[in-house]
Amino acid sequence: MIQLKHLSKKFGERLVVDDFTLDVPAGEIYGLLGHNGAGKSTTIGMMLGQVWPTSGDVRVCGYDVTAHRRLALLKVGAIFESPAFYDYLSARRNLEILSAYTTPTPRKRIDEIIAWVGLKGRENSNVRTYSHGMRARLALAQALLPYPKLLILDEPSDGLDPEGIHEMRLTIQRLQREMGLTILLSSHFLTEVEQLCTRIAVLKQGRMVFEGPLSATKRRESWTRIKTGDFGLAVKELRQAQLITHERDGNLIALSPGAGPDQVVRLLVERGISVHEIAPMEETLEEFYLSLMNGGDGFK
Amino acid sequence: MFYHHLRNELWKLFGKKRTYIGFGMFLVAQNAMLVAFRYTHWQTQMTNLLEGNGYLAQEYVSALTVALVMLIPQILLLMPLYVSLVGGDLVAKEVEDGTLRMILSRPISRFRLLLVKWVAGGIFSALLVLVLGGTALGFARMWFPWKGMFVFVPGQVFNVLSADEGIKLYMWSHVFMTLNATVILGIAFMFSCFNMKPAAATILALSLLFANLVMEGIPYFEEYHEYLLTYHFRTWHNVYASPIPWSQLTQSVCVLLAFNVTTFLIGASAFQARDIKS
Repeated sequence: MIQLKHLSKKFGERLVVDDFTLDVPAGEIYGLLGHNGAGKSTTIGMMLGQVWPTSGDVRVCGYDVTAHRRLALLKVGAIFESPAFYDYLSARRNLEILSAYTTPTPRKRIDEIIAWVGLKGRENSNVRTYSHGMRARLALAQALLPYPKLLILDEPSDGLDPEGIHEMRLTIQRLQREMGLTILLSSHFLTEVEQLCTRIAVLKQGRMVFEGPLSATKRRESWTRIKTGDFGLAVKELRQAQLITHERDGNLIALSPGAGPDQVVRLLVERGISVHEIAPMEETLEEFYLSLMNGGDGFK
Repeated sequence: MFYHHLRNELWKLFGKKRTYIGFGMFLVAQNAMLVAFRYTHWQTQMTNLLEGNGYLAQEYVSALTVALVMLIPQILLLMPLYVSLVGGDLVAKEVEDGTLRMILSRPISRFRLLLVKWVAGGIFSALLVLVLGGTALGFARMWFPWKGMFVFVPGQVFNVLSADEGIKLYMWSHVFMTLNATVILGIAFMFSCFNMKPAAATILALSLLFANLVMEGIPYFEEYHEYLLTYHFRTWHNVYASPIPWSQLTQSVCVLLAFNVTTFLIGASAFQARDIKS
């Protein structure tokens, strides 16, 4: 659905996006992560033909954005952080104006979308009277009007309160489930990305430092968390039985190759040491991301 | 599609309060001038001028004459101010507000978007000039009788006309005033297409205009008058001359039309090359 090939962008002498290659398949919710200034918004700008690439190709929905922008964006909806509207006009008028740049939209379709995003009853109020959450819903409405196949969401939850963030998350899931949309999500909220996305790409200072399925960010086998009556004694017994190789933090053990948690539990119970909990410790996306940002490979 | 886009631009333009500042200020200025005409020595001076040239002055102190006298300074000074204010906003304000990014996430070409905006600006310019001319005549008619028209522009036109002939030329002159307005709007629009604030685009357009005006007033530039915009802006006065200097009128219209095309193309080229970022 989106293909970037060796994409680079310079502003003056400053290299903002450096040799970025990416393939977003249809039907995915794809996360684009990176620190402020990593080049996420510039990349999205290049996907939408708002920013001209210095080199490389951008293809959206099968069309080269630079050469065939109109065809490429015909089935694309986009939302930006802090969505801007004509505040002095009503929400309905804003939708009429924005959708007409793709194709004139029948009133019935506008009514449907207004109802879908939950703005029914407020569509004739001026946008200046809208809360941040209502503006986010209006942004979603304008993105959905042209029957998109691809949604590009640049920090859609930015500035929303916790309820708003939760609502946005549910809406994104609903969009993918009910409409089968491909969604590119650029976000600072790692938990949001963790809950929504199936694949991610991480940018650092314009360069891609990771690309892959979200599951690849979690190395389950490295540490196992265990709660016992006596952690010190348990470690001693497990080491003697050669079931673990390392321990740390008073509750983490690294299992030996071939050893499983069932063997650990059995041994400790036989030795009279109570076991309250045992679970593989999954690395969170936040830990993975921070490790990447600090120059690591994403894993501790 | 072009109709839909144009309608959108007009909604945006006429939905903003600041679009109406020009209309409001013209009404205030016209009424202030009318009070001055009525209660100062202006009428006596005009009577003396007419009678000194052998005309029956009372036949020409009329609504048409007063309306035209009011229009001359307003078209030269006030109209550029308000037209450039709107022209400077057309693109730069949308960039500043972030709405342009919303528009450019849709499959519309930049050139088409600019063309629609320019046409909407042209419609605003025409409307502003028509309202200006209409209200000037309407207010003048409330204070002065409907009689013949006296036109005096020092060094350019001296003519007396019947009321019927006068009103025809009065309406005809609005076509040329509209052309002036679109040129000023086009300059502000061109600057607005570059990466700058709306106020900067307006100020640059006005600065260019005033620089022309100042240069025109310097004797050294007398032989270069034809290169100055303000010289061509005065072509609407020639509509009232007898005989009408058609060659000069045509030349000025061609220069102003060419200026419009040039500013649009420069603006469109700059806008096409720009990166639109938040």
